Formats: sequence, structure tokens, C-alpha cells
Amino acid sequence: MPLNNTNIVSAAQTKFGALKGVSFREMFAEAVDKATVDAGVPKKDIQAAFIGSFIPEMLIHQGHTAPLLTDFAGLKGIPATRHEAACASGATALRAGIMAIESGMYDTVLVAGAEKMTSSTTPEVTEALAAAADDQFESSIGLTFPGVFAIAAVAHMHKYGTTEEDMARVAIKAHLNASTNPLAQFQKPIDMEKALKPFVIAWPLKIFDCSPISDGAAALVLTSNEKAKQYTDLPVKITGSGQASASMNLCDRTDLTSFSASVDASRAAYKMAGLTAKDMDFAIVHDCFTIAEIIASEDIGFFEPGEGAKALREGVTALDGDKPINPMGGLKAVGHPVGATGVKQVVVAYRELIGDAGPNQVSKHDNAVVHNFGGTGATCVVNVLRRADV
Amino acid sequence: MSEKPTVEEYLQNIQKGQFKAYKCVDCEMVIAPPSGSCYGCGSNKMGWTTVSGKGKLVSFTVIHIPPDEFAEEAPYFVAIVELEEGTRVSARLLGYDPLKPEDVKLGSDVKLDYEDGKTGKKYLAFKPV
Repeated sequence: MPLNNTNIVSAAQTKFGALKGVSFREMFAEAVDKATVDAGVPKKDIQAAFIGSFIPEMLIHQGHTAPLLTDFAGLKGIPATRHEAACASGATALRAGIMAIESGMYDTVLVAGAEKMTSSTTPEVTEALAAAADDQFESSIGLTFPGVFAIAAVAHMHKYGTTEEDMARVAIKAHLNASTNPLAQFQKPIDMEKALKPFVIAWPLKIFDCSPISDGAAALVLTSNEKAKQYTDLPVKITGSGQASASMNLCDRTDLTSFSASVDASRAAYKMAGLTAKDMDFAIVHDCFTIAEIIASEDIGFFEPGEGAKALREGVTALDGDKPINPMGGLKAVGHPVGATGVKQVVVAYRELIGDAGPNQVSKHDNAVVHNFGGTGATCVVNVLRRADV
Repeated sequence: MSEKPTVEEYLQNIQKGQFKAYKCVDCEMVIAPPSGSCYGCGSNKMGWTTVSGKGKLVSFTVIHIPPDEFAEEAPYFVAIVELEEGTRVSARLLGYDPLKPEDVKLGSDVKLDYEDGKTGKKYLAFKPV
């Protein structure tokens, strides 16, 4: 049965990037203000808050962040809980919000995500991010996050003939789409030569295959059908939601060219929505590394296994293609403040679906699928969204 | 070898250069790195087993930008190897030039070994047969 009571009535994000002088709580409050008072939703209507954040303890020495953030943002006294699932923290917060509405427990809730990363040094961030991998069996031999995706890339290249140029095309597309997105960390197109710049991070992944270190926050307001009309004539409905887990260790997985949690979560979300990948007009996928977008485009059923790079080469996933992917620039060029990402992806889908994406507007925008990935793929959350008037 | 195995002992065995895997007491599936329940039958009864040391290279990367702890070792290989017994492990890969990753062939036969890291730790490693 499709979900039938969850409506997104407003959605907003801060600019992503190195937000110097803007603290964690200030970023959060900015996103909340944009998604509430600026969008005609009084803060007093928010009954509970579900907040994604990955590692504030390690990056800014701050735990127990949900009440700290909601209090600062003027959401006094409401239940506020933080959700952590590495890079999928935001989407797991969203799932909690969906369940809160669908159960009838609340009518109007806030779902938000935030991460402050650039106030730490790059080695500090690298060390903190490594907490999302298996410390005893993988990190202990020097395997890094880019290394995990590099291993997947080598397997994909070997099995399907995917090339370094194909991966570079993901970065080129992301930077092109982000060049007209004023909220993106990088707003300049890059060419093939730059995308292939031989600064190796984890072979075959190079600097332009990796998403950056970023600050940022994003927020959504979810309501029941009854309340939605108070705030907007054009809500976006979440009709299917799936989440799956997989082994933390890459070596415990039987197929390195696909992420089983992505396959399982997307199938569950489509099934709940009563739709298939063919019904989706566009996708927002978790392109933490360029290879991750190619594999995700296959795992969510847009293309057959091994066909993702071909579709990319042929422009199928471009902004003006038949199946646009990451039309505003993805994690790669917009930035990846870890806890905010899963919420920001839904902000992007919402804007595209209601026709509010400006120069980044996709032509067909009735249905969308949003794929958010945690860590090395041990968590994946996929949501299916539909404009309410469809 | 009938004593209930622990993660701590698994890691210590590698430090001693005496790699052992878990083995499900009920269905005899060989499991490494450790799991609290068998991937084959779900049993939580585990024992130790030695392995032949023969394996095949499944995939790999070369880490150029490492965590601080491994800075002196970079660039270095990290590989996924499937052991003859069926289980897969993450390990270092020896015997190849990390600046010539194109020379490494997936599916090639490798043999269990160890690497004494500059971190003072010993790593599980494999080298070409």
C-alpha cells in the first residue's frame, strides 16, 4: 500500500560550502527559518523534530545536538531527536518523520539535517569520517573511504568496461548542473582534462572523483493531508519509502559492482509506492564519489547492471536527458555536509517536482526517486515522491 | 580449537602471524573477518579453523592519501581476496608496484602472507603465487 498521508509542504537549504563564521546552530536555524516562517509555516505548528547529523561529537565536540539545535532555532519544548546513519543520517531522520505522520501521532513535523565540517582540519575530518567504516577489520589496515569506492570502481571497470573517463563524466555533469545553482559549493563547469587531473586519492579515484568537505543544513516540513492545505496548494507526497542495511565490511559482500542495500531499499520503496523505476521522471542519487552515481543509477533500476556509464555517455542522465540524475549538481559539486545531505536531496526533489528549480528545472517532473547512502553502503534509504496534483 | 573464538583473539592471531578464521560448528562455513552469526545457517556456534592460504584477488585499490597513522606507508595496496575456503577478507597486497596498478590482474592467484607496517602493526597480506 502506498503511503497516503505524508506531504512535504516546504523545503529549504542553506548554501553549501565553507561557511566561515557560521556555526552549526546558526546554519540549522537558517534552514529552519527558510522552511517555516519564510514559507508560511508558523514555528508553533511544529510538533516534533527529527534531525540528521553524523559526527558533531568528533568535528565540533558537541553531542546531544537535537535539543540544542531546536532550542536555538526557536522550536522550544518539542520532542527533538537526532538520527545517525553516517551519510544517510538525513534520510533516516526523514523516515522517522514519515512514520510519525503516517501513524497519526503528529500532524506537522520538522525534518532537518546539518553538519559543520570545515572548522576542522582535513586530517581531522578524514579521521572522523572513517568512523563510518569498520574500525577493527577495515580501517585498521589503512583502508579509507575513497579506497572503498575505489575497490568498487576497479571491480566495475573489470566486469563492465567502465573507464576513468566515464567517472570523470559524472564530475563534469555535476559541475555543469551546479554552475547555475547558487547554493552549490562549486559553481564552475569543468572539462575532461580538469576532471582527470592526476591527483590520485585512492587509485583509480582522483581528486575530481570525490565530493568535498562542506558545511550546510537543510530542512523540510511534513504534514498530514488535512493540514497540508493550510500551507500550500501544491504539496509533494512521499508515497514509498525503503531502507536496507548491508555488511559494514566490503569483503563480506558477494558483489562489489552493486550495493545490495541500494537494490533492496529501492525495490522496497517502489513496491510501497506501487510504481517502478520506469515511472520515475528523474533521480537524486548519492554521488559521494563519481563511481557511486554510476552504480546507483543501476541499483535503483534506471539502467541494467553495467549500463550506467553508457547512459551517462549518451547524455540520458543530463539535465535535458530522458532520465536526469542530480539535476542541481549532486554531492560532488553542491557539497556534502554529511548529516544535511539526505535532507537536501529531498529539498532538491521537492523543488524540481513543484517546478521551482529555475535554470535547473527538469522537463518531466511528476515522480522522483531519492537515494541516500550511508558509509560504505551499510545503510541505504530510498524514497519515492510524487507531486500531489498528479 | 573448540573454545568460543573472540574478535580480540582473531586480531591477535594476525599480529602473531598465525591467521585463523572462524568456522561454523553447525554447517562448517568458514568465516573471516569474524561474525557473531553464521552467514550460511544463522548459527551462533563458532570455532577456529586454519586456512590453506590460497586465494584469488577480487578487487583492490592503491591508497595515495591515507589517514595520518599510515602516512609513511603510502602509496599502498588494499585488496579484497577470496580464500579457497570461500570467505573474503580485506588485506594488503604485496609484490606489485603501487605506482603501476595496471599490472595487477583481478582473478589472479595469491597466497597468504603478512606485512610489518611502519605503524608497528602487522597486517594480513597476500602476495602473487
